[in-house]
Amino acid sequence: MTVILTNVKMTIESESYIDAMHAVLTHKGWTTYSKPMLAGMTSAAFRFTVNRRLTAEGPTAYNWIAENFLAADFIGIAASSNAGFTFDATFPLYRDAAILQIKKAIDDGTGAVIWKDRFVVAAGYDDERQILLLSNGREEEMEQLPYHSFGCNPYWYYQVLENRIPLDHLEVCRESLMQAVYRWETHDPMLPESEYACGKSAYAAITSALQNGEYDREGWLAVIRSYAASKQNIRSYFTVLETYWPSLREAALQYARVAEALEEMNRLVQSDDMPAIERLIVLLDEACQAEEKAIMAIKLFMRETIDIRKGDIALR
Amino acid sequence: MPNVRLQLDMKREAKSYIDSLYAILTATGLFGGPKYRLSGLTGMAFKFTVHERLLPLSVSAYGEWINEHRPGIDNLGIYTVLDAGRTRHPTFRHYQQDAVLWVKESLNRGVGVIYWIPEFGIIDGYDEEDRVFFVQDGWSGESQIVLYDNLGLNFTEFWYCQAFGGKVDIPLEAMILESLRLAIYDWDTPHKTLPNTDIGSGRLAYDFLIRALKQGDYDEGGAVYILDSYCYSREEICAYLQEARAVYPELGEASRLYEELIGILPLIRDGIIETSGARKVDRNQVELLTEQFAAAQQLEDRTVDVFRSLSERYPDPRRSIIPRWGIHTPK
Repeated sequence: MTVILTNVKMTIESESYIDAMHAVLTHKGWTTYSKPMLAGMTSAAFRFTVNRRLTAEGPTAYNWIAENFLAADFIGIAASSNAGFTFDATFPLYRDAAILQIKKAIDDGTGAVIWKDRFVVAAGYDDERQILLLSNGREEEMEQLPYHSFGCNPYWYYQVLENRIPLDHLEVCRESLMQAVYRWETHDPMLPESEYACGKSAYAAITSALQNGEYDREGWLAVIRSYAASKQNIRSYFTVLETYWPSLREAALQYARVAEALEEMNRLVQSDDMPAIERLIVLLDEACQAEEKAIMAIKLFMRETIDIRKGDIALR
Repeated sequence: MPNVRLQLDMKREAKSYIDSLYAILTATGLFGGPKYRLSGLTGMAFKFTVHERLLPLSVSAYGEWINEHRPGIDNLGIYTVLDAGRTRHPTFRHYQQDAVLWVKESLNRGVGVIYWIPEFGIIDGYDEEDRVFFVQDGWSGESQIVLYDNLGLNFTEFWYCQAFGGKVDIPLEAMILESLRLAIYDWDTPHKTLPNTDIGSGRLAYDFLIRALKQGDYDEGGAVYILDSYCYSREEICAYLQEARAVYPELGEASRLYEELIGILPLIRDGIIETSGARKVDRNQVELLTEQFAAAQQLEDRTVDVFRSLSERYPDPRRSIIPRWGIHTPK
């Protein structure tokens, strides 16, 4: 049996899980929102985690099962997912079950998100050749992945999106603001603080790494590319939120400054082998201050909900 | 109209999760052996959490269940499917209806399903015509009825369903080693349900228990339940270590320490008195009780140190790489 969803096309723009999710949802007709809107509504764009050595895995060092489930849950998409180490004894059982789930989703006309060096979309399969077909955003042709090669050492992960539950759009957006505050203020408990920094602390960690020179040069390029895209997504998202709630204008202005600073950094870092560290640090400082102001503005706007949820502002 | 009655035999003795698991796995042949071995290999016997006011929920609030149960089942080599969450979330209805389907599928295969009643119990049948599941709590032997459309709804805010599939063989020595590592984690981690810090785990659970008994402002029923569960788990661990030392002779010291700990249990049990049909902690014996718990805490601390030195002698890839799942803050 061979099924290929030829119209599933992932493109790399948000530089995150959102690229894969957007490809699946738009193909299925479950969303018409742009990637920046999706990145904001799911709150994925607000995640800001770096490895203190600025390694390339920083932007995807998070709890895929919990966080990608939540991304879908926040926008009313039901999902089913699983993950583990490929060296676990039970992996063959889970791999077989994962392939079945993915094929079932494709049979239903829905792509599936899997981890293959990044989040990509499984958009087809061929039982005779025992392969999945992936849209990975890099090549026009679909990539072939043998069933037995599912799982990308040391991790395997898949997520199938199963249903759409109508939610109030404004409520979705309001929740994303709560999550934005949470992510800015809270360290991800899955990650050791000695190795990773999250939210506001991520700015200080980047500054410190650039100053002491102990960082992964290749990784840094990937990290800044990814977060320049996230902040750009947030900026676009807030230009829309501002039309719903004019009192978010201040936050929108500040996020625009954040996005500009990171875009400038990204341009410098990608184009020049040795950009002036001093200039990068000034930009980081500007971005950090602007983002802090944006969060203050959001907290003022969401103060009642924050008050109700005191103690655990992220818990719906 | 199809219906299934597996008539599983569930008996409440250990933690409700283990009693449920044992009933399901032994009936299908996925596990053979005594219950304490199942408790030990899954790491469940070692879980010890105490709410600062000794609420009865202490016994089952040993973490986020998915993260707590999955490594234990994985250690048995058994494939599992589970779903859980907060029933107030808008997507609950979808997951509930999905669970109705996969719970029935599991029952059709002859495998029971673990279900949060509360506490944990098993779904061992359904009737398609009446659209109901049959649920056992392990106390009465009677079945309760849960409508398909009420699946997961209860007075707590959580729902939980878990089914089981195939199995791979894992060498006993690997299972024992992993179970001890799970035990170390539970002992060392002060709070398993962050950001809440009103429940202590492992070493800190003893501190919470001792403090609450001394201060006297605690839930009477909860205190008895915690003590009963505590004593039962200690006996399970003792029996488990007596077996494990045959595989790892270095565990001899841990086993000996636990035998000493078991010697304390009669004193702890004597601290519970029965007045007019209700059991409660004898407030005249609080000092004696807290002394015993402090001694037990020391013994257990030394036991975990034995686990630690054994663990350090073998590679531990699972804890050498930061995972992409596990601990998180629920949202």
